[in-house]
Amino acid sequence: MATSDEIMEALQDFTEQCNNNKRLRRMQRDWTKKLHYVAVDTKDTFSMDVIEGEIVKTAAGTEGTPDIIVEADSETMCDMFWGDINPTQKYLKGEIKVKGTQEDVMRIDAITAVIWPDV
Amino acid sequence: MSIIDEILGEKDVEKIRKETEENYREYVNPFAMRMLKNASLDIIEGKREGASVWDISGEKYIDCVTGAGIFNVGRHNPEVVEALKKALDTYDMGGWISIVRERGLLAKKLAEITPGNLKYSLFCCGGGEAIEVAIKLARGHTDKPEIICMNNGYHGVTGFALPATGRDVYKKPFAPLTPGYVHVQYNDLKAVEEAITEETAAVMLEPIQGEGGIIPADDEYLRGLRELCDKNDMLLIFDEVQTAFGRTGKMFCAEHSGVTPDIMVMAKALSGGLYPISAAIFTEEISDFLMTHPFIIINSFGGTSLACLVSLAAIEYLEKNDLPAHAEKMGKRFLKGLATLKDKYPDLILDVRGKGLMLGIEFPEDSIGPRMSYQLRHNGVISIYTFNNPRIIRIMPTLVIKEEEVDFVLDAFDKSLAEIAKQEAKNS
Repeated sequence: MATSDEIMEALQDFTEQCNNNKRLRRMQRDWTKKLHYVAVDTKDTFSMDVIEGEIVKTAAGTEGTPDIIVEADSETMCDMFWGDINPTQKYLKGEIKVKGTQEDVMRIDAITAVIWPDV
Repeated sequence: MSIIDEILGEKDVEKIRKETEENYREYVNPFAMRMLKNASLDIIEGKREGASVWDISGEKYIDCVTGAGIFNVGRHNPEVVEALKKALDTYDMGGWISIVRERGLLAKKLAEITPGNLKYSLFCCGGGEAIEVAIKLARGHTDKPEIICMNNGYHGVTGFALPATGRDVYKKPFAPLTPGYVHVQYNDLKAVEEAITEETAAVMLEPIQGEGGIIPADDEYLRGLRELCDKNDMLLIFDEVQTAFGRTGKMFCAEHSGVTPDIMVMAKALSGGLYPISAAIFTEEISDFLMTHPFIIINSFGGTSLACLVSLAAIEYLEKNDLPAHAEKMGKRFLKGLATLKDKYPDLILDVRGKGLMLGIEFPEDSIGPRMSYQLRHNGVISIYTFNNPRIIRIMPTLVIKEEEVDFVLDAFDKSLAEIAKQEAKNS
């Protein structure tokens, strides 16, 4: 089980990687979304605001209406943000749930493919 | 020795797999490759026969995708292959300005087997291109620009076809698009009636929305559309790219409702699964436009000698084996089995629907479509959710599928649903 602080640390590292990756920013320039993350075992929640491909805010807790909700247990969520697992494979095995459109699921897959091409 | 024999004979499957994946990653589409691999759909096709495809490793799968209706006469149909071989001994593609005998023979055959007064054929290479022909004919014939299309419809991604497609995700990055398209709710006659203006040239729709999630048009709705078109001097265009050539239990889906369009577009199965070809077939009345502009819609590769001979062989095979009737029978077997599965998994299956062997299964949430594809691959079935609606898994096998193969697919669905149910229980 991962703590809220551990998930937040991983989320911040993930944010930094996304925002510092010029290729990714260019690829996602038309993507503006509000994401909510829910650790289903600990009930910790997190949010991420993306505006035109840039993550402008990450925070513990949630506010507003999300476009996408990602649910997983805390350990999986931590692994996902550190790039220790392939999130799409976990999604297809039902271990990560994504409530949103299939286009958004594909966008998330593309993001992880750019940041962690070998995972 | 063919490359497939060589691959299987040499037993160096991993070497070929690695090479193919690297080539895809480096030179085709790295993201598509990754997604297919993640989704467990990274099957490198080796042998193809009947309703089945073998991965180069020798693993056998029932193909329930069939390129959304390309392989109606079966994968690598031997009689159609023989027709192509024979054609290659004598012909090349044929010139587009010359008179090509085979083109005339196929056009005559299409006029004979299509319903109503559909008569003249213009040939192209792909479905989107044939849709473009239909739109050009409608605008040219009526001298009006507007085409009423359907929300959630799919007509391809080429210049005149893309704006007709009813989903922004395909269109948004490519704006500005050709103007003159109005989208309305499918199966809603009043919505069409309200969209008609003095500038409306045609109403275009799929008699069953394929990419939209296997949604059949009501017969009464289609009859209403025919009346509206006649009353308002508009044309009715059926996109039968996926539904034609026996797929729905009749040679053409239009036959279910008894409604004949003014223009019918066909592609996919017209190819016999071997040689690209598509067509827009239309009535004599519409041909008036081409009388004054006989060479205004042309292309180099539409209706080549080789393609037409393959099409004729595929149609002959469909007729000789009465595959439309077989599709209807196998479709009923599928529907019966799926109804049983719906009772067994009431929380996972919301609906089963379709006609003949164009069936869809609807799940309660988007993620279950991709997850089912993943599970089905591991149970010996190639399947994919519909792109416009990931909640729907489509079942579109070849029309030569046998009873025992239908039962195999149903068993694979049962096993896959059981696994998803287990996952859901674990996560709840």
